[in-house]
Amino acid sequence: MGITDFISAAWDTFSTPSPDAEEPAQANKEEESSDEKEESSDDAEEEEEEEEEEETVDPKETLEEECRNSKECHPAKHHYDACVERVTSQIDNDGKASEDCVEEFFHLAHCATACAAPKLFSQLK
Amino acid sequence: MLARSALRTARSAGAAARNATSKTASRSASSSSSTAEGAAPWTANALPVGASAFAIGTVAWYYHLYGRNVDAMTPAEEGLHPTQYPWEHAKWHKTFDHQALRRGFQVYQEVCASCHSLERIPYRALVGNIMTVDEAKALAEENEYDTEPNDQGEIEKRPGKLSDYLPSPYKNDEAARAANNGALPPDLSLMVKARHGGCNYIFSLLTGYPEEPPAGAVVQEGLNFNPYFPGTGIAMARVLYDDLVEYDDGTTASTSQMAKDVVEFLNWAAEPEMDDRKKMGWKVLSVSAVLFALSIWVKRYKWAPIKSRKIAYNPPIRSPILDKLPKPNQKS
Repeated sequence: MGITDFISAAWDTFSTPSPDAEEPAQANKEEESSDEKEESSDDAEEEEEEEEEEETVDPKETLEEECRNSKECHPAKHHYDACVERVTSQIDNDGKASEDCVEEFFHLAHCATACAAPKLFSQLK
Repeated sequence: MLARSALRTARSAGAAARNATSKTASRSASSSSSTAEGAAPWTANALPVGASAFAIGTVAWYYHLYGRNVDAMTPAEEGLHPTQYPWEHAKWHKTFDHQALRRGFQVYQEVCASCHSLERIPYRALVGNIMTVDEAKALAEENEYDTEPNDQGEIEKRPGKLSDYLPSPYKNDEAARAANNGALPPDLSLMVKARHGGCNYIFSLLTGYPEEPPAGAVVQEGLNFNPYFPGTGIAMARVLYDDLVEYDDGTTASTSQMAKDVVEFLNWAAEPEMDDRKKMGWKVLSVSAVLFALSIWVKRYKWAPIKSRKIAYNPPIRSPILDKLPKPNQKS
C-alpha cells in the first residue's frame, strides 16, 4: 500500500458526494417545522405567562400574612391589635392619641419577617 | 514529667506551709499565757474588712452613675432592625449569581437610576460580569460624555466608551435635592457596605413599606412610613411594585424578586472583588492543607528513628575480686 493508494482513497472519499447529502435538507425542513411548533408553543407559553403576570402576587406578602397569623407571632399580633384598638378609640374620643403603635408594629413585623425569610428565599430565584 | 515535678513542688510547698503553721501555733501557745484568750478581737480585722467594703461600694456607685447605657432614642427613632435573610451569594463557598446580577442591573436602570447615581461603576466593570463587551459598548454609546479640550480649548461631546462611568441622574447634590423635595438620593455604588445591615437592610427597606402606617404614628408631610428607616420617615416612596419590570429571562417580577436581584447587584457594585476574594480564600485553604499534610508526614519521617530507638544499659561485669573483699560494715 503506497502513497498513491492513499491519495486515490482520499480522492474517492471527497470527490463523490456522500450518499446522505440529501439528508440535511430534510433535517432542515424538520427543524423548520419543529421551530414552527416551538414558536407556536412559545406563543402559548407567553400567553400563559401573561396570564400569570396579571396575577403576580408577591410571595413576601402572602408568607408574612401567614406568619402574622401563626401561633409563633400570636403574642406580638395580640399586643398590636390591642394597641390599634386602644389608639383608634382614643382618636375617636379625644381627637388625638397619647401613644402610637410603632413599637408593637415593630415587634410584629420582626416576628413575621423572621418567620417568612427562609420560606421566601426558597421561593425566589 | 513536668506535671510530676509540679506536683512534687506543690507537695513540698504544702509541707513547708504545714511547718510554718505548726511553728506559729507553738509560738502563740507559748505567748497565750500573757494574753487573755486565743480569739482575735474584731478590731484586728476592721481595717481590711472596711477597705473591702469601701472598694465594693465605690464600684457599685460607679456602676450606678456611669455603668449602664443610656438609651435616649425610642425604637421608632432607632428603626426596625432588618431581618437576616439567607443570601445565597453571602455564603463563603458561593459566588454571585450572575443571572441575578443581570436582572438586578435591569431593575437599577429602569427603576433606581432615575434618582440614584452609581457613579463609581464604569461600563468596563459590567463586561464579563453582567453583559458582553458589545452590549456594554452599545450601552455606553447611548450616553454623551465630555471630550478633552480641542485645539480651540472647547470641550465637545462624544459618545461614551467602556472606560466611562455610569451617568448620574443629576448634575450635583444641590440639583438632586432641589428635584427631590430637599432630600438627597444617595449614591448607590457602596451602599451595601455603607449601611448597617447591608443587603438585609436594603432588601427590607425596599419591600418593607406597609400599606398604611400603624395607628397613632405621625408621618411628616412629604415623607413615607418605613419601619426599617431610622426615624421611620423616609422621603423615598415605595418604588417596587409587582411586574414593574419585564425580565429578559422570564423570571416572575414580583416585588421581592426585584428587590432581591437589585440588592445582589448593589452588593456586586460595592464588592466586585468578592468572587475573586473567595477564590483566593480557597487557594489559601487548599495550599495550606497540602502543606499541613506534608508537614505531618515529614515530622513522622524525621521522628520515626528517634521514637522507635531503644536505649539499653548494659552494666559492666562485676569483677570477682571485689566480691571477695570484706564489706566494711559486716563482720566477717
